[in-house]
Amino acid sequence: MSKARGGPRRVLAVWCPDWSPDAPVAGPEARAFEQVVSAVAEFCPRVEVVRPGICAIGAEGPARYFGGEEALVRKITDTVNALGVVCRAGVADGLFAAQLAARFPAWAAPSGAGPRAGPSGAGPSGAGPSGVVVTPGRTAAFLAPYPVSVLDVPGLADLLPRLGIWTLGDFARLPAADAANRFGMPGVRAHRLARGLDPRPLAPRQPSADLSVHVDFDPPADQAEPVVFAAKALAERMQAGLAARGLACVRVQVQAACEDGRDITRLWRHDGLLSALAVAERVRWQLDSWRTGQDARRSGPGQDARRSGPGPSGPGTSDPGEAGLAGGIIRLRLIPDQLVRDEGRQLGLWGDAVISDRVARAATRVQAMLGHEAVMQPVLAGGRDPAEQVTLVPFGDSRAPFRPAGRPWPGRIPAPAPATVYPVPLAARVTDDSGDAVAVTGRAVVSAPPARLSAAGGPWLTVTAWAGPWPVTERWWAAASARRRARFQLVTGDGNAWLAAVQDGQWLIEASYD
Amino acid sequence: MGAGIVQLMSLSARQGGDGPPPRGRVPSASEMLHGGCVIPGVGLPSGDEALCGADVLPVLPALRGLLPDGLPRGSVVAAADPGLLCLVLAAGASTAGSWCAIAGLPDLGVVAAADAGLDPGRLLLVADPGEGWPQVVASLLDGCELVILRPPTRPSAQVRRRLEAVTRRHGGVLVVAGDWDGAQCRVIVARQEWAGIGAGHGRLRARLVQVVTDGRGAAGRPRARWLWLPGPDGTVAVVAAGIGGGLEAGGLGVGGLEVGALDDGRDGDTGEVIAPWRGMSAG
Repeated sequence: MSKARGGPRRVLAVWCPDWSPDAPVAGPEARAFEQVVSAVAEFCPRVEVVRPGICAIGAEGPARYFGGEEALVRKITDTVNALGVVCRAGVADGLFAAQLAARFPAWAAPSGAGPRAGPSGAGPSGAGPSGVVVTPGRTAAFLAPYPVSVLDVPGLADLLPRLGIWTLGDFARLPAADAANRFGMPGVRAHRLARGLDPRPLAPRQPSADLSVHVDFDPPADQAEPVVFAAKALAERMQAGLAARGLACVRVQVQAACEDGRDITRLWRHDGLLSALAVAERVRWQLDSWRTGQDARRSGPGQDARRSGPGPSGPGTSDPGEAGLAGGIIRLRLIPDQLVRDEGRQLGLWGDAVISDRVARAATRVQAMLGHEAVMQPVLAGGRDPAEQVTLVPFGDSRAPFRPAGRPWPGRIPAPAPATVYPVPLAARVTDDSGDAVAVTGRAVVSAPPARLSAAGGPWLTVTAWAGPWPVTERWWAAASARRRARFQLVTGDGNAWLAAVQDGQWLIEASYD
Repeated sequence: MGAGIVQLMSLSARQGGDGPPPRGRVPSASEMLHGGCVIPGVGLPSGDEALCGADVLPVLPALRGLLPDGLPRGSVVAAADPGLLCLVLAAGASTAGSWCAIAGLPDLGVVAAADAGLDPGRLLLVADPGEGWPQVVASLLDGCELVILRPPTRPSAQVRRRLEAVTRRHGGVLVVAGDWDGAQCRVIVARQEWAGIGAGHGRLRARLVQVVTDGRGAAGRPRARWLWLPGPDGTVAVVAAGIGGGLEAGGLGVGGLEVGALDDGRDGDTGEVIAPWRGMSAG
């Protein structure tokens, strides 16, 4: 141990901006991140996946081996960049500061003179544009200029600025006892982070008993589904074992042993917050990503190395439940890592939607029948058309929409919202009185008033009222999602109302107001 | 529950009429219960809370004219089409804290559901329940108090009876977007007209609908109400007297629908509907 006792370890965090923190944390994302993790694992076997997009390793050992932290940062970023993935790395005392160094080096260098020029010369010693290395012991000074919102503690992010505390430095100057008095346990953790310490002191004693739990599969499980199912019960057992000793774990190591002697081992951030369901979900990601990694390797190196994107169209998103696992799993083991004292978590008196066991059981049973993505929970999101305003999240996953709701969307379809939104717009034909197709010019002028409508080859309906065209040109800067449409609202003789659009001369029915 | 109130009042009225009232004190509720004045199991209703009682799910206030007893637990409600009406039926229960599941509606407008009053945080969506959909719906009924279902295939009588039994056992409510032969209650939109949009100007702002309910047992009497679904402010509301009549006089052009003297809440409670279902299917 080269560092003083109790201080945080040197941590190197790798951040890939392609994986947005707001993006849905679903299977394909995590699977695609697997190649980055594998690349980093070449330098240090114990890679911790904080979430898809960020992983971390302990920097001390590898840095000694590769000739210094700057060299290590360069080597890792070069390796990941060679995969075609953009990344940045940061080294600091503790995971929190390392993540910030990787993600927001600009705060430390407000003058724009590059990461080498730290605030008052105290902070980072540079390692080029690919990463920032914070001098050991200067982590608190490095953190000081960051705004308190980076703490990611929802209650504090808006409360502290109202109390006149804008930066981590201001917050760290508060006496620790006062922070504990005023903000409770989350405040203590945030205060420790702001001072450049680990959020919770490590429980120094070694666990007297082996707290890992495992389950054997005989015959070997060649499908992911039974393994994931067993993982949930296993995670419950692990949690119960920890809780009986008043402990929680910071990370959980998931180890799956294959029939042919190989081990699939991965560390996942836990912080005592993951439910048994969430641990099972990580087991699923791990198995899925391992299998897609295998497929990619079999189909040729480098071919599938680039991230295939989170959309349902990517090649890496084939249904995880269907294909078998090459080499059956014979044993699944969960090992709690970095034990800390469990301080419990206070649920809010109001507002926290607690999912009752009964609902969770029903949803899990349906997921076991139809697959994980068959049971969705909607989250309202931002967007102009009705389909964009909803993000569907598989039950049990985390729930942040890609485009948060509650922001202004000029040109959005006004209320009331349509009750039926077609996932794929229906092709339609709209004609005027003389039977000619109605067209819209580039300057949004209608050729003739719409008189008749036929949706998806259906019968012709008389248009009794209409409004439009409302032109919208969206995301012209991104070729994949760029869109230019003119929208109409049409009311037909049967009393129904439709949301229609013209795109490239083709009429589409986007929704029905029924 | 409303029946309970009526019963209590009529009983006490009869007591007052038949003999001298007990002097000096009014019998307490428990005395009345033990004295046989109140039928056990009916319970003692107290205003609106009665609607959130143990054996009904509440409905939105605007629907109380159509479903005065709320949605009785263990019942099946058939709404002819998937649409806003199904969502509005579920909104009252969701607002009161129930979990809802929606199965077989991949094209559901979730924003409309949220606007209608369904809490997205207590909503499960199973877009494609697949071949074994009865099993899926039975599982959902175990966890959620209200399930909206559009059957992917026409259910056999056996499947229907099984799901009805599951609904009764779990005390849930099954809202079917489609036909369901044994439904306790049927709800349809008989007529509708959009407001706020003209020939090339304006936009959709509100919709006037005439909703008709019909059913078996306690819900047996056909009722019809004019509702804003949704109203200009996005909520569901009862149309003030007069507006619906104007529409009726103006003619909505809903062909084939023969509606007789309806109980539409304006001219007393008596009324008769001449086969609106047959009219709809013919038209």
